[in-house]
Amino acid sequence: MENKMTLEVDNLKVSFFTMNGEVRAVNDVSLRIPAGKIVGIVGESGCGKSMTARAIMGLLKYPGKVVGGEIRLDGQNILPLSEREKCSIRGSRISMIFQEPMTSLNPVIKVGKQVDEAVLLHSNVTRKEAKRRTIEIFREVGISDPEKRYDCYPHQLSGGLRQRVMIAMAMIMKPEILIADEPTTALDVTVEAQILRLMKKLCEGGTSILMISHNLGVIAQICDYVYVMYAGKVVEEADTFTLFDDPQHPYTKGLLNAVSSLRRGGERLDTIPGVVPNLLYLPEGCAFSLRCGECRKECGDVMPEYREISPGHKVLCTFAGEH
Amino acid sequence: MTRSILQRLIQAVGVLLGVALLIFFMLRIVPGNPILTLMGEHADQATIDRMTAELGLDQPPLTQFIRYVAGAVRGDFGTSYTLGRPVSSLIGAAFGNTLKLAIMAALFAWIVGIVCGVIAAVKKNGIPDRIFMGLSLFGVSMPVFMVAMILQYVFAFYLHWLPISGGDNWKCYILPAIALGWNSAGSVSRLVRSTLIEILGEDYIDTARAKGRGRMGVIVLHALRNAMLPVVTMMAIQLSSLLSGAVITETIFSINGIGRLAVQAINGRDIPLLQGTALFSTFVVILGSLLADSLYGVLDPRTGKEA
Amino acid sequence: MPFGRKKQSEEIRDIRLRSQAGEEENARTIMLRLVRENRLAAFSLVLILLIMLGAIFAPVLTPYTYDGMDLMNRLSGPSAAHLLGTDEGGRDILTRLLYGSRVSLFIGVVPTLLAMVVGAALGMIAGYYGGIADMLIMRLADIMLAFPSMLLAMVIMYMLGDGLGNVILTLALVNWASVARIVRSETLQLKGNEYVEAARVIGVPRPVIILRHILPNCLPTFIVLFTLNVPSSILTESSLSFLGLGIQPPSASWGLMVNAGRQFLTNAPWLAFAPSAAIMLVVLAFNFLGDGLRDVLDPHQKKG
Repeated sequence: MENKMTLEVDNLKVSFFTMNGEVRAVNDVSLRIPAGKIVGIVGESGCGKSMTARAIMGLLKYPGKVVGGEIRLDGQNILPLSEREKCSIRGSRISMIFQEPMTSLNPVIKVGKQVDEAVLLHSNVTRKEAKRRTIEIFREVGISDPEKRYDCYPHQLSGGLRQRVMIAMAMIMKPEILIADEPTTALDVTVEAQILRLMKKLCEGGTSILMISHNLGVIAQICDYVYVMYAGKVVEEADTFTLFDDPQHPYTKGLLNAVSSLRRGGERLDTIPGVVPNLLYLPEGCAFSLRCGECRKECGDVMPEYREISPGHKVLCTFAGEH
Repeated sequence: MTRSILQRLIQAVGVLLGVALLIFFMLRIVPGNPILTLMGEHADQATIDRMTAELGLDQPPLTQFIRYVAGAVRGDFGTSYTLGRPVSSLIGAAFGNTLKLAIMAALFAWIVGIVCGVIAAVKKNGIPDRIFMGLSLFGVSMPVFMVAMILQYVFAFYLHWLPISGGDNWKCYILPAIALGWNSAGSVSRLVRSTLIEILGEDYIDTARAKGRGRMGVIVLHALRNAMLPVVTMMAIQLSSLLSGAVITETIFSINGIGRLAVQAINGRDIPLLQGTALFSTFVVILGSLLADSLYGVLDPRTGKEA
Repeated sequence: MPFGRKKQSEEIRDIRLRSQAGEEENARTIMLRLVRENRLAAFSLVLILLIMLGAIFAPVLTPYTYDGMDLMNRLSGPSAAHLLGTDEGGRDILTRLLYGSRVSLFIGVVPTLLAMVVGAALGMIAGYYGGIADMLIMRLADIMLAFPSMLLAMVIMYMLGDGLGNVILTLALVNWASVARIVRSETLQLKGNEYVEAARVIGVPRPVIILRHILPNCLPTFIVLFTLNVPSSILTESSLSFLGLGIQPPSASWGLMVNAGRQFLTNAPWLAFAPSAAIMLVVLAFNFLGDGLRDVLDPHQKKG
């Protein structure tokens, strides 16, 4: 694992300043994404995974704000860059695809033109050359009849095709890293499999991928390394095999149980009791203590320490390894 | 696509016929013999009879109506009682002025409305937003004649920058155009603001940003085009209210346009002229909404052809 | 309350409450929410009430009469004795405004009510019955809406002749079509609801369904439409009067006052501007109130 890091996130903090106070949506998150690997972030909705992605892109929505930490792309901290410099990075060195292919394309512009736009923004080529490249990448991402699709409007394409267009748009400048925020959630299972295969292929072409999903199945299929997030914090990280084989944090175990009880065809779905806590009113200690089946007396009072229990496997739980 | 256009056309012709019928019979219910208005109370019976026959007023109403429509299709709206000239030539002469006024007013409304709306939407809840939206509420709530009089008072009477009324010079049209466009500017800016705010929250805006477009580029190239869709629909409605407002504006600024012609027709109890101006104005409104529809089709690929 | 019999209106209110089980909204809670959520609208409501009070108590509020000439004080500017100055006959402008508000408010409210009743009835019939009734009503509405409203009003005024009653009739005729169109689409929407289908299945006659299920659910729309149509009636009337085609002297509406004051624009601008400002204020207040009510009554619609 000791290869070059494409993206490093250190102690990232994102807050929303609302009328009721500061909401710490992302609280001290650190990520490492090695070159040519697929790294996943998994967690329930509202755990801060999408916020982390948006913060990396520099596209946080008002009133969200990065309040601390560093985001390094190839060793360069991109947070202090000017808006203009960020624009030149977005779409060329980092790019992103979104959850909803149905609404993520501009309805009044031909899809080909929308992909061209990314080329024209970041390189000095003619429109004709941009079109040639677009058609080429359409073919690469498996869009059949790319010349014809180039002139289609988004509403004329299926969800799977639109997501391929989105991927084409994100990949056309051969970025160092692709952030995929639930790229298959809105798609059918068969289309999902195709898209995941495509992403894996892209990764082999040298692009690192940060895959955000609430779906452990998706994560298991393509990720090399996984971060589990809960209430704005990373609670566990490990390579995919270790995480699925030997989960340490009670939350991770809960997530895995929920899935495997489905697989076993059990009569009842194992669920994690309770709901995601309100980020405004977190307990003093471990944020998961309210729902944790293995909660002890100290958990509510003392903030657990994030520690490495075996090489590359870190857990945010005071009692990890003892359970 | 062609079928729906044809359908719309037939519909438009139907509405226009209905309007003609409505005007025609409303104006014939009016008590009093139009010939008497025309000839004066002292005309002798023989002249009255001759005139009645000449104008076809002795025919049954339906025949009169059919004749009228047949004439109107050929551009013949009859002869004005008071001015003694063909209504069509009076309208022809006046329409140019109204068109000039309406185009300038529309330009004013669009430019001011879109610029203010965009700035307000981008600086949502900021100071420019509050100022523009406050102003726009005054814009939509001020009667046309009030705006016109304030402009006359301040810019013509007090500052002597522009002529107070009349004239054929383009300068004479500045104040009337602003007065006429004022209300529209208010409603356009409110509409642009609210649509733009909604659109800036759409996913495809994020996509464009993720591609590396700057904030302004996203607004101009991605958001504005979508925001224009409801605004285009509003355009058709605006045209109708512009023509309504033109009646007042033209009267205040003494511009010889359609609206003033209609007022003259009413004051002179000149039925052919009133009928002609009303019918022609409605025709323009219907034409405008047809144009707006086809423009919408061009701007929004989702209408018409389906994949 | 647009319904004649008290018993019926009570019944309708009950049905309304039942049909919206869970979110019980009476006039009081709506007002409370309006005050809480939209200060501007609440303030406008107070302003409208104040103007109404001013119209009612005009004789008590002013020492002058609305037609009392004072030839020594012609065209005098605003002063302590005459807060808004006097007109060419030496009459106190503020007094005339107060009296004029009676006509202007009357003309804002009555034709709007008429247009609402006619438009709502036709709209519901068109929407619910469909078929030929729908076709006829909506084509007629299309024709009315194709007319520029000012020219339509002028033609109708020409047909009917001058006078307050005719102005009211004209404004009602100009406005019913847009009401009908909106109510029709609302009815079409409501018609698809399960409880309407259920009523239809068990054989409730159509007029009863309209009265019991469609009408009560359209009430919020009616209230908003009413508030937003009042200012447009006031504006159209003032424009007609401004052209000398509406109310005739000696009755005084604000529009007529502007018309009379216009010739003194250069030497006594307050004559025309005071009534213009009054019109603007009332229109502004009703617009604010209408927007506020729409936000409160229809939470689905996004705020602008």
